[in-house]
Amino acid sequence: MKLGHKTFSKLVTSIACTLTLVFSVNAVAQSGTFRARLSPMPTTPQTVTTITGEGEVILTLEGNTLKVTGDFVGMNSAATMAHVHNGPPAQPGPVVHQLEVTKMTGGEISAVLELTDEQVMALHNNELYIQVHSETNPPGELRGWVFARN
Amino acid sequence: MKIINKNTTRALFTSALVLLLAACNGESTVPADSVASVTFSSQAEEGATAFASNCAACHGASLEGTTLGPLLSGNSFLQRWGTQTPALLLNNIQANMPPGGNDGISDEDYTNIVAHMLSFNGVDTITEALTASTNFEIADNISQVVARRSRPEPEPPQGITVAGTVEKFTPITDAMLENPDPADWPMHRRNYYGHSYSPLSQINTDNVKGMTLAWVWNMYEGDSEPAPLVYGGIMYLINPGNVIQALDAATGELIWENWAGPANRQDMRNIAIYNDKIIQATTDARLIALDARTGEQIWETEVADASKGFSNSSGPIVADGKVILGLAGCARYIPEDCYISAHDANTGELEWRFNTIAKANEPGGDTWGELPDLFRAGGETWITGSYDPDLKLTYWGTAQQKPWVPVSRHLTIDDVGLFTNSTVAVSTDTGELDWFFQHVPAEALDLDEVFERILVNRGDDKLVFSLGKYGILWKNDRVSGEFQDYKETVFQNAFTDIDDKTGLVTYREDIQNAKLNEWTSACPSSAGGKDWHSMTYHPPTGTMIAPLSQTCLENAAREVALVQGGGGLAASRKFFEMPGTDGNLGKIGAYNVDTMEEVWSHQQRASFHTGTMSTGGNLVFVGDLDRRFKAFDVTTGEIVWETRLGTSVQGHPVSFAVDGKQYIAVTAALGGTSPRAVPGVILTEIKYPRSGNAVYVFALPD
Ligand code: HEC
Repeated sequence: MKLGHKTFSKLVTSIACTLTLVFSVNAVAQSGTFRARLSPMPTTPQTVTTITGEGEVILTLEGNTLKVTGDFVGMNSAATMAHVHNGPPAQPGPVVHQLEVTKMTGGEISAVLELTDEQVMALHNNELYIQVHSETNPPGELRGWVFARN
Repeated sequence: MKIINKNTTRALFTSALVLLLAACNGESTVPADSVASVTFSSQAEEGATAFASNCAACHGASLEGTTLGPLLSGNSFLQRWGTQTPALLLNNIQANMPPGGNDGISDEDYTNIVAHMLSFNGVDTITEALTASTNFEIADNISQVVARRSRPEPEPPQGITVAGTVEKFTPITDAMLENPDPADWPMHRRNYYGHSYSPLSQINTDNVKGMTLAWVWNMYEGDSEPAPLVYGGIMYLINPGNVIQALDAATGELIWENWAGPANRQDMRNIAIYNDKIIQATTDARLIALDARTGEQIWETEVADASKGFSNSSGPIVADGKVILGLAGCARYIPEDCYISAHDANTGELEWRFNTIAKANEPGGDTWGELPDLFRAGGETWITGSYDPDLKLTYWGTAQQKPWVPVSRHLTIDDVGLFTNSTVAVSTDTGELDWFFQHVPAEALDLDEVFERILVNRGDDKLVFSLGKYGILWKNDRVSGEFQDYKETVFQNAFTDIDDKTGLVTYREDIQNAKLNEWTSACPSSAGGKDWHSMTYHPPTGTMIAPLSQTCLENAAREVALVQGGGGLAASRKFFEMPGTDGNLGKIGAYNVDTMEEVWSHQQRASFHTGTMSTGGNLVFVGDLDRRFKAFDVTTGEIVWETRLGTSVQGHPVSFAVDGKQYIAVTAALGGTSPRAVPGVILTEIKYPRSGNAVYVFALPD
């Protein structure tokens, strides 16, 4: 891959950020508020009526502790599980944490999680997402990427 | 692992059983498809269920059509498919439908769905089950149609249906097209440079809040994304189904109407005017000139053979006395490929063609691997190009290779497939390629770069801008084609690198190596960061203002056999909101053409469905799915006026003046392919009527 100078400077910036981040994680307690907007999972016209719902999750980071609180409504069937996954925006990835979820079509999502330094970094890089699974949509019904709240 | 689904298993079991039974009878050569228990009507019955769950959401439970998909019954179906065979219909559906994902629909389901569609449309003289190669002519097996042939019947309207004459018509010259009167909108994007900009300034940021409806005119129903033409106080309006109307642009009074046929409900984005002629492409790939005064036909010629699937959805540009137009419907594996063609404006006679797909023995022909010419497909030119009268070059975007994913087309990511997904600069004199720039080589996600080319002069720089489905605003030198700069206007994660010096893009590795039936996820989706809705260039501020859309897709390539008549698009897809947009599908972005920086942007939940149009009054107009038509301040991005129309606002706004009074016109419309279908699955809470095509005209009160 040939690097254009813009890409290169992006790279330099991101290395710089990464270093800052690593040092700050170790030096001072990281804090910040994040949000995930939950919306129906990849839908096709055929599944518009069977993959439904919406929700919002607020995440607050203190050091490596991530407090997760959220709610959701209007799913097509009862929730079965909710997870934090690791993947860059719009690219599915593995589960990294379990969340508590109301086993109904609407309800609450909560957890207090200890993140690894890598996961804190992933959080800052928009590389975490939340997914809610349901009885009739085991692969997932609601999904939302976690972004810093502004 | 090979997955055999239930239906396949059942089919295998049934045919095994039949063979076994046949063997017991001592008849060892009975072919599996003469199975007594499977008949046309049993297929149709099963097909009704499969249609209900896989197709009805868009095409209606009774095949009557919805805002998401065309009707598949009645005359419209007969006209499109009556002379074709069930095998062709099956092939077409299997390759293209549904547009978003079809895992779980088996070959047998598809055959059954075709049986249901045929039965529903009155096919009643056959009993034998359909197979993938059933090749009777559909209409021949509808006894009603056969009976009708022997007695006269009312035809759909044809030719002049309302007669009238435009008084005091002045023929429009090349010079007038090169430098349009500020009062006119005499071509699709108003000027040859494609600016979608009107210098009129009577309506401006200060007084626009007083703007009200002057008149409204209902249009024929169907798919519609039109740009009206306005010349000398007359609006020439292309309706669905190839109908043109001439209206008094100040009062909305109808002067004449002509039906060129076919009388389907299909879409045509624009028409052209030259000399004393209105020139129209038809949805069945003909080119027709009408007398602008009366609507009477002057000449007609064939652009391409519609029975081979060719069509037009955009009309011509008249440049240097030539009628230049593109072609669509080029995904099929047949010897003929897509081209841009030029016809004499006085006679319709063909002057030249530029082929967008390089054959093996031609320049660029070695960019398709070992693929025989027959299987090189795509390169549609479905959006009208622009023109530089000084350089005598016409600039067009070309669509990507077909099928959509390299593995489906039996190629790799290194087989870039010239001259697809490129800007091509073609000599208007000879039709020869002057230069090309391929924006996204070996396109792999159905994200084409086919849209309008906007020509801009900055100092001594002669530039061409374009913005494709990846949402990348490209700046190229339009004399040499050389890459200048780019700007990402929406989030994209398809490319890991865009080279600053050359503009060369590098796909993410999993996209490069996507295998059959493997899901790849990427942003934007095939609804486009930007799609057919054209952007505007506002010369007074040097700003490009683009209507954008923020969705993503998961895509899985399907297998396509290399057989003549096959081909298609071949991917299953799922769509979802773009991460980080807070569910805002609609975005308007304004970009400084010198620095390429974003000057302002506006984001909202409802997707935008018109092009943007800017004016000398420092306004930019755009309409959305939620029926809102809005005016923004070009400099600040502030919304300075809005109103709500009868249904989704869709098409291309224009501005014109009659007797010194400025008007703003826009269409409300339905259809519009993926930019509507994709939001349709995400913005389920937005409701709008399923009829209501119309042109709305606004002005300041007297
Ligand atoms: C997401 C909505 C959607 C679904 C679901 C869908 N279609 Fe379509 N269909 C469309 C659209 C939109 C078009 C117009 C194609 C275009 O212009 O690109 C179309 C076109 C067609 C056409 C061509 C119509 C013509 O006159 O040329 C056929 C045939 C068709 N669809 C059959 C089907 C069948 C059968 C199914 C179910 C297996 C199906 N479609 C599912 C949206 C859909």
